[in-house]
Amino acid sequence: MLKVNKVSKVYEGKVSYRALSDIDLTVEKGEFVAIMGPSGSGKTTLLNLISTNDTPTTGKIMLNDQQPHTLSKNQLATFRRTELGFVFQDFNLLHTLTVEENMVLPLTLEGIKVKVMKEKARQIAEKLGIDSIMSKRVYEISGGQAQRVAIARAMIHQPSLLLADEPTGNLDSKASKDVMHLLTKLNKEEKTSLLMVTHDAQAASYSDRVIFIRDGQLESEIHRGDNRQTFFQKIIDMLSLMGGETSELSSIRLS
Amino acid sequence: MNFRQFAYRNVTRNKRTYVAYFLSSMFTVMVFFSFLLFAFHPTFETINSSVRTGLLTSGGIIYVFSFFYILYSMSTFLQSRKREFGLLMMLGASNTQIKAMVFIENLLIGTFSTMFGISLGLLFAKTILLVAENVLIIDERLHFYVPFEAIIITLISFLALFVIISLFVAFVLRTSRLVALIKSDQTPKKEPKASIFLSVLAGLLLAIGYGIALTVKGVAVVMALIPVVVIVMIGTYFFFTQLSVFIVRFLKRRDYIFYKRTNIILFSDLSFRLKDNARTFFMVAMISTVAFSAIGTLFGLHSYLTDGVIEINPYSISYKMDSDDQPEIMAEEVNYIHSQLKSMGVEATSETIDVAFVDMNEGYIVPVLKESDYNKAAKLIGEPIIDVGEGETIINDQTVAMISDGPKASETLMTFLIDLEGDHTLTPAKVIQTNVFSSMNGSYVINDADYVKLPKTSMNRTSKQVYWMTEELSRDEIVELGEALEEIPPYRVSMIDYTVFQIERGYGPALFVGLFIGLIFFVSAGSFLYFRVFTDVDKEKEKFTMVTKLGLKETELKKIITQQLAILFFSPIIVALIHGGVALTALSHFFDYNLINESALVLGGFTVIQLLYFVLARHFYIKQVKRIL
Ligand SMILES: Nc1ncnc2c1ncn2[C@@H]1O[C@H](COP(=O)(O)OP(=O)(O)OP(=O)(O)O)[C@@H](O)[C@H]1O
Ligand SMILES: [Mg+2]
Repeated sequence: MLKVNKVSKVYEGKVSYRALSDIDLTVEKGEFVAIMGPSGSGKTTLLNLISTNDTPTTGKIMLNDQQPHTLSKNQLATFRRTELGFVFQDFNLLHTLTVEENMVLPLTLEGIKVKVMKEKARQIAEKLGIDSIMSKRVYEISGGQAQRVAIARAMIHQPSLLLADEPTGNLDSKASKDVMHLLTKLNKEEKTSLLMVTHDAQAASYSDRVIFIRDGQLESEIHRGDNRQTFFQKIIDMLSLMGGETSELSSIRLS
Repeated sequence: MNFRQFAYRNVTRNKRTYVAYFLSSMFTVMVFFSFLLFAFHPTFETINSSVRTGLLTSGGIIYVFSFFYILYSMSTFLQSRKREFGLLMMLGASNTQIKAMVFIENLLIGTFSTMFGISLGLLFAKTILLVAENVLIIDERLHFYVPFEAIIITLISFLALFVIISLFVAFVLRTSRLVALIKSDQTPKKEPKASIFLSVLAGLLLAIGYGIALTVKGVAVVMALIPVVVIVMIGTYFFFTQLSVFIVRFLKRRDYIFYKRTNIILFSDLSFRLKDNARTFFMVAMISTVAFSAIGTLFGLHSYLTDGVIEINPYSISYKMDSDDQPEIMAEEVNYIHSQLKSMGVEATSETIDVAFVDMNEGYIVPVLKESDYNKAAKLIGEPIIDVGEGETIINDQTVAMISDGPKASETLMTFLIDLEGDHTLTPAKVIQTNVFSSMNGSYVINDADYVKLPKTSMNRTSKQVYWMTEELSRDEIVELGEALEEIPPYRVSMIDYTVFQIERGYGPALFVGLFIGLIFFVSAGSFLYFRVFTDVDKEKEKFTMVTKLGLKETELKKIITQQLAILFFSPIIVALIHGGVALTALSHFFDYNLINESALVLGGFTVIQLLYFVLARHFYIKQVKRIL
């Protein structure tokens, strides 16, 4: 589904900086992959390359047998709003629109019929439990609700790949858990592939596989197995091995 | 680093935010300076002093206007920086420190913009003088000079202006509320609501105002002026604060419009921006309307004067001698004119005609021409010749320029019979309207055979008139010939081109000043909109980054920005154009004179300037937004 092949990224500048080198990564259809690593290791950079917001210096990225970086700007825009869905740490919702209007934005841009659009919005809102706030403006809802709206917007056009950059970064543990439950549910039910960057071991433990990056290189990966608790523990161990913030993490118990 | 240094660095490092404010201040200084440069030109010391007084008064008006303009620019500028102030206060800056910073900043910008404005004015001095020379019709050339007076006055008045405004602004700056402002920028407001009542009222008031303005005629225009202005002003205010918001909300509620592709992004914050900018739009519309009316009046008066004179004087030169009792003087003077034309090498044809002034009814005196004379004159200016039978008359009505209120001259003349010697009378056959012979009371044309039978008793006086048609003359030739003809008493000779030239020369300064001030108004109207549009650019950038991440094509981005800017830019412009159109129509009713050409020129000029602004604003806006993508 998604194939990242020997991708490197060098930021040119006064001092050019190699943010990623020779990354190989495959995500199967319906798979949920988390990316972890210390700050500055290149996670966002990798996500930006996959989301076509940035272009790799060398290497190839294939998505559904298409190579998005060879597309023209206009084709890229269409590609993004049909094949990809995004969830951001800061929600990225338009303040001047209502919840419903924010949700249907990708469909509107594609020129879908109003009726179809509203029906889809209704269905997904029901699934995410936000149907009661559909006509509220963004500033009238909580962070957890906002993130659910963002997820609804990312999913409404049934993208083949959902990209999330620290989706729980701005939420408390209760809201984080809700959001993660939703994401896994969508992942299972809609067979949407999911690629998520996170610092949160708890969030990562919902995934099928965690990939660790350090200094722009793949460090290792852990598969989930049957038990989430042991998976969580393995993630924490791995992080402490990599020199992450172990003291904070070890005190967290999975609930 | 003390606070003064901090303020200094804030300006010099943060150039982009300051540039708009700086440029508008500089532009104002430049305009004022250019005006003084021209007003203080040594040439005007020798010409009459009333011109200079007029110029200096206008300079005063421009200065007052500059004051408000800069005050306004400054407040929008500070508005866009509220968040920064809030942040500074959070970091522990005191009220006094922030006020001091604003004061020093403004002084710094003021000083620089004054200096740059003057320098730029000097750079364009030659061009300005050249333009003035042509509009003003002055005999002398306006040579370049070193404008010490203008420099010093500009320097002093603007430094003073900036100190006063800086003090004022620093004083009234409400820093207590600023802490809340950091948040206010992030917590969006409720969608503005429009009152249906006020929206309907806006439409109604505008309709009533326009209705009155378009239907009143003549002197009533003056009487209606104040009420109409008040009605239209209130209407315009509610139009921008209520009706426009109402319309946007109405459109937003139509799903098939709102949910149509990029419309959702376009409409998402349109009502906010319209409401936020309503006062600016109102002001721009009113300023422009005032400028339209002022320029229109000047232009109209000018055309009214010159065209009127031209219409009743179709001949290049005309000479008339009443009661032909001084035939020698007449022969001498007519010869003089012929010889002047000849010596200048000007091709000319001439005709001489007799006119009898007949007392029709106790002092109601009407000129009577014989058919052959009328036709000679008509041929000279290419009018159709006429045929008058014996025993009848043809009435030549007043020309259009002479028509005033009351019955036409022909209506009166139709009621008269002309008595001839013996028992004969002449009856009016038909009415024509030509400018072959102009008279307030109209005139009769009669058969040559009847003309000799006009009784001496009813004759008030007779006169001989000579008409010349010359080839097209250059301006120098007009002046030379006109001055030569001043030898002859002005009541006997008139040379139309020279008369027009004299009117224009007298009128030039007023027209120039009027155009100058009008231009300033137009340009400042455009600048207001330009800066206004750009104060929101940061929020817009945020919005577009968000949407682009979801997948927005460049063409769609450009489309949204173009539509949005067009709505913001042209809603006040179109209102101003309609106001202006109505005002100029009312004006033409007042003068009873068709101002179509003048109106088209004024409104067209305005439109062109605003279009230019729009194109510029769009270009830079798109460039700025694209830079962050
Ligand atoms: N536009 C850019 N130009 C130059 N260098 C950049 C740019 N963006 C990121 N970098 C550098 O590349 C490296 C990787 O950055 P990236 O944002 O991918 O880190 P990250 O893993 O997402 O970190 P965090 O967990 O803090 O979000 C960093 O050292 C950063 O300084
Ligand atoms: Mg990051």
